[in-house]
Amino acid sequence: MLSYVARRILFSIPVLLIASFLLFTAVRATFDPTARLRASRDPEAVQRARAELGLDKPVVAQYQDWLSGFVRGDWGESSSTQERVLPVIRRAAWHTFQLVVWGVLISAILAVAVGVFSAVRQYSIADHALTGMSFLGLAMPPFWFGLIAIQFLAVYPRDWFGLTQTPLFFVGLRSSTNVGFGDYARHLVLPVLTLTVQIIASWSRYQRSSMLDALSGDYVRTARAKGVPRRRVIFKHAFRNALIPLVTVMALDIGALAGGLVVTEQIFSIPGMGRLFVDSLLEGDANVLVAWTVVTATSVIAFNLLADVLYRLLDPRIRFS
Amino acid sequence: MTLPDRRRRWHLATLVLVLSLVAAGCGDGGDKKNVATDVAEDAPRGGTLVIGAEQEGKCADWMGSCGGASWMFWTYGALTMPRAYSVEKAGNTFEAKPTSLLTGPATLVTSPKQVVTYNINPQAKWSDNTPITSKDFKFTWEQVAKGDKIYDRTGYDKIDSVDDSKPNVAVVTFKEPYADWRTTLFGGSFGIYPAHLVKDHSELTDGYNWSGGPWKLDHWTRGTEWVLVPNTNYWGEKPKLDKVVFKLITDTSAEFQAFKGGEVQAIYPQPQLDAVDQISAGLPGAKAQYTDQTGNSEAFSMNTSRPPFDDINFRTAVAYSIDRDVIVNRLFSGVGVTKAIQTPTAAILSPFASTSAFAKYKKDMGKVNEAMGKSGWTKGSDGIWEKGGAKATFSIKSTVGNKRRELTEQILQQELKTAGFNLTIDNQRAGDLFGDQLPKGDFQMALYANVLTSFYPSNCNLYCSKNIPTEANGFSGNNYTRTRVPELDSLYGKVESELNEAEAQATNKKGDDALANHVSVLPLDPLPNILLTSTKIVGPVADNPIQGPFWTMWGWGLNK
Repeated sequence: MLSYVARRILFSIPVLLIASFLLFTAVRATFDPTARLRASRDPEAVQRARAELGLDKPVVAQYQDWLSGFVRGDWGESSSTQERVLPVIRRAAWHTFQLVVWGVLISAILAVAVGVFSAVRQYSIADHALTGMSFLGLAMPPFWFGLIAIQFLAVYPRDWFGLTQTPLFFVGLRSSTNVGFGDYARHLVLPVLTLTVQIIASWSRYQRSSMLDALSGDYVRTARAKGVPRRRVIFKHAFRNALIPLVTVMALDIGALAGGLVVTEQIFSIPGMGRLFVDSLLEGDANVLVAWTVVTATSVIAFNLLADVLYRLLDPRIRFS
Repeated sequence: MTLPDRRRRWHLATLVLVLSLVAAGCGDGGDKKNVATDVAEDAPRGGTLVIGAEQEGKCADWMGSCGGASWMFWTYGALTMPRAYSVEKAGNTFEAKPTSLLTGPATLVTSPKQVVTYNINPQAKWSDNTPITSKDFKFTWEQVAKGDKIYDRTGYDKIDSVDDSKPNVAVVTFKEPYADWRTTLFGGSFGIYPAHLVKDHSELTDGYNWSGGPWKLDHWTRGTEWVLVPNTNYWGEKPKLDKVVFKLITDTSAEFQAFKGGEVQAIYPQPQLDAVDQISAGLPGAKAQYTDQTGNSEAFSMNTSRPPFDDINFRTAVAYSIDRDVIVNRLFSGVGVTKAIQTPTAAILSPFASTSAFAKYKKDMGKVNEAMGKSGWTKGSDGIWEKGGAKATFSIKSTVGNKRRELTEQILQQELKTAGFNLTIDNQRAGDLFGDQLPKGDFQMALYANVLTSFYPSNCNLYCSKNIPTEANGFSGNNYTRTRVPELDSLYGKVESELNEAEAQATNKKGDDALANHVSVLPLDPLPNILLTSTKIVGPVADNPIQGPFWTMWGWGLNK
């Protein structure tokens, strides 16, 4: 397995290089990091900045400069904020990480519960209701759901119950004046809810489907025929096997989530990876964007690899080649 | 490893992860009390005010090329950097007044060279109790005029020397006359930097916690918030609030929700349609201030170097085809602005403006027919003007996604259609429009705002031929309309260096009139400023078009 992992990591290097080069070139071709300076009354401001940012060199030379620094641990400087890129990425990734961890944790628990319940009670009223809610969750745009959630779970309750502040907060992940886990939790509920609605809907469908497959398997029928109790059949035999496809899907989804949750982060003013991407793109900040791409692509590759490894661990019949 | 061992490790890892996330939630919030003293007014003392901020600056190096962001300067720079002059309301207009940094107005000598002498208040000091001296003036000039990565050297590049031989007197000698010395130099949007605390302006990139104003920075968490506390060593009146938190909320809908939900107590939204609609619908518990006395001027700009707008008769006909009041009324009647502006000079500079220069351009089909006829256009069977087989069709560019501008364009399209013109809408990303297409002249008509960066007319910057962007000058300069009129070069050029203010005002007015005759631009509205505050906030809440809405925050208090 180790040689398989090593080979996969080796193959991912050219992918990262190509992705970073394409993005660097595309950003340089389409965004001008000196555009903001055109509002300056100083006619030389733009030309000075172009020289200082090295924009007068060919794009390939600019990329080489960036790459040689990157491999030596120097991720460069943001052209818009003049901050070092590494702390910028680290800060944004930490915000996204918090959202993703809580979101995935809650989504996984609820999606598995809903999926298993729906499969075990197939075609019951509850199954139909949960299926309908799943489709509703899948169809609901996060930006709309987020704003509705703010209105109905934060703003209106304050008015209805005459509270001095909203029961749930929706700006950032903590208050300046009120620290502690309670405050943190009150900030987390709405963004995590917005994030999880679609994930729960999607994962619960996978779980239901794979659980139904498992429940119709010969080994389940055999276990039942042998008189194994129903609960034991469901959880010991069917459930463990039904988890395998979901774990794979989860690993792939988490990898993609590392790139940030653009809409959720925007609505709830969370400075995560999604917002960093949008802000950097609009500023034409190639150094930050390329670093963002490398981090995100690495995450996707890592979680793809993790999905394969987990698949192997959960299902010993699978062999790597 | 046995199975239970492995499970224990998983449990341990899970516990560590959960604890680390819980710890993140319990992290340092840094609630430092810093109660102000020397308070004379009735506003209550103490408390924390939370304000929603739509934008965050790129850095706190106001003179650096990462500077130039209004929001950050209004909420941090203007409150912490000393300045020689401030822009303050005087009756119905604004004027530059010396601040308490000076003992009185600076003295101006105009001959043989322009020399300005600033007498510095001996009580003025930095937050570390070091006096503010002429060395700080000299340092600021040297940094702007000679430093690297500077946003705008305008004005400072006209200075020949700063004499700092007397600590309380800064004598500034100019190489050539510079009229806007009061509000651009040693204040403006840069402030004065402390020579004893800063070696190079770029050190301020990530913020600074010294101050020469009523507030100082407590902390700045990028992307999240920046927090100010009173500067207890400020020589003037000290703030009443314990702390002011500026929370970054970039989404306008979320910003209004946060204000309505009480999560923030003040917001300063851009005058977009949804903001105006929300205000029109009513915001309980809110005080709203609107003003059309701003430094902004939204206008239809016409590219005079490209057909069809290279023909003055065509431009004149278009100007007589539009009822601009209808547009402004539709956009801003909710905040009390119903009339189009009639001058290219910003509303806050009314003493310099010929306020009815463009008033003649009202919808008048007779004048449209006359102007188009002069250039040989005739109306086709479809009611559209045509000449030599070509229809009178042109496009307008603006920023994509801006609902206010999109609506403006749609109304314009209707108005022009009835006058015999086909208008197509071709909106662009802001970066492409301002970074590439306007500088390169790749447009026919464009809709955008000119924003005043100092309290002095900058019409030469926009309409003098020396400021036309060209390949030769690297597409620098802001004369996007390619206006090339010797009379304007002379008039607006003179305003830049005219030290006699009355003469400068008269000259600028003549320039406005000349520009109206040339009609390369058609002013539309002043983009009103909107400040919404909770009724809990008491004190002198007053918007300032240059120093921002929070410049009097030292006097604000918060009712329980």
